[in-house]
Amino acid sequence: MREIIDPLPFVIAAYAIGIGGTAAMIVWSWILMRRAEMRREKSREL
Amino acid sequence: MHGFANPARFLRIARWLTPLLLLCGIAVTAGALALGLLTFPPEWIQKDAVYIILVHVPPAWLGMAGWMAIAVASLVELVWRHPLAGIAARAAALPGAVFTAICLITGSLWGRPTWGAWWVWDLRLTSMLLLLFLYFGYMALAGAAQRDGGSGRVAAIFGMLGAINIPIIHYSVIWLNLQHQRPSLSMGNSAIDTVYLWPLLGAMVGFSLIFGGVVLLRMRAILADQQANARLRRKAMAGVGAGAAS
Amino acid sequence: MAAIKPKHQRLVLALIALAAILAAGALATWALRNQASYFYVPSEIVANPPDLDRAVRLGGMVEMGSIEMEADGVTIRFVVGDGTARVPVRFKGLAPSLFVEGSGVVAEGKLAKDGTFIADNLLARHDENYVPRELQDMTEHQKDAVISETVGAK
Repeated sequence: MREIIDPLPFVIAAYAIGIGGTAAMIVWSWILMRRAEMRREKSREL
Repeated sequence: MHGFANPARFLRIARWLTPLLLLCGIAVTAGALALGLLTFPPEWIQKDAVYIILVHVPPAWLGMAGWMAIAVASLVELVWRHPLAGIAARAAALPGAVFTAICLITGSLWGRPTWGAWWVWDLRLTSMLLLLFLYFGYMALAGAAQRDGGSGRVAAIFGMLGAINIPIIHYSVIWLNLQHQRPSLSMGNSAIDTVYLWPLLGAMVGFSLIFGGVVLLRMRAILADQQANARLRRKAMAGVGAGAAS
Repeated sequence: MAAIKPKHQRLVLALIALAAILAAGALATWALRNQASYFYVPSEIVANPPDLDRAVRLGGMVEMGSIEMEADGVTIRFVVGDGTARVPVRFKGLAPSLFVEGSGVVAEGKLAKDGTFIADNLLARHDENYVPRELQDMTEHQKDAVISETVGAK
């Protein structure tokens, strides 16, 4: 007896994790950078 | 002080290089994934599961390359005391860990429909999981040093020692017979049919550009935080001095 | 108090780091002792058979035309080969979907007295070659070359 698996759901899940994880990392790092650079500008004005 | 001259020059370059790397990386990655999804024929035995290669192999390469970047930058930091090297090492940790995690998850999603198992405790998979834990350890050490103003020396030594794991990951499948297959790509030759090869190479370039862009983003964040903290501390000192004088 | 706490924290972190490095070393040792000796290819299992009650892994290529279903409908018999030796395998259960003739397999189990490998777990093993189905259908010859190359590279 051989297992029958449709690989498509696995492919979709893998792409969701790969693309979603990468996108989340970019956005989060971008926000952190903006926040830090704004804090530096504010410290200059103080 | 060269420590201040260098970050200034770095920031001048990073300001235009960061969006350039990110935009090119996103465009190349999207193009390579789209090309793969449109042109990949089903593989003779694993059929559609072969698509997963595009979101498994590039993250695996970057998870390993990320740690090598940490190790080299840590060495430069310890030996030459280059102020940017330590910042670069710390900035590479999160993207390295994220790509290692993506590699492990997509690998698991690939293993279930092909091998018949989500996870196997073979050396390739086990050493890759260890790499993820090494990243967590490095981030904890570097974060603690940053919080209480200690030197990053412990983290740097940890980063260099942890590099022992990288050849274990790479050579495990070459030296031993494991569940995981041998590398399909090596210098100058490929066991992958060209229809699969070009999108894969494109995705590797694209994800690498994104990796570079994220490292620059995080370096800028660390630098900005350091400069803001230094300035606030100076102002506080000046304030105390002025208060004492009056 | 506030001065002591970060120091303790660093000590704990350094210990965690040390533990991680030791774990890496232990992993390498474990791998060399365990993984190398627990994985057999058919020619090794024929030349130097493991103890009968020892659980080992047998990896190789499922020979063409060798998969047979027993009368009970759940037991599969097939032959694993590596180009030089062949080992008959018996497995009772559900085989993975990539378990096909001419492809790789890793069987976990024990060697029986009669030289049959009794598998209690079966995993498909993909090799490093990626071949489109069309190409595969066209040239049986090329696949033989690919398989012999893969097995020969061991």
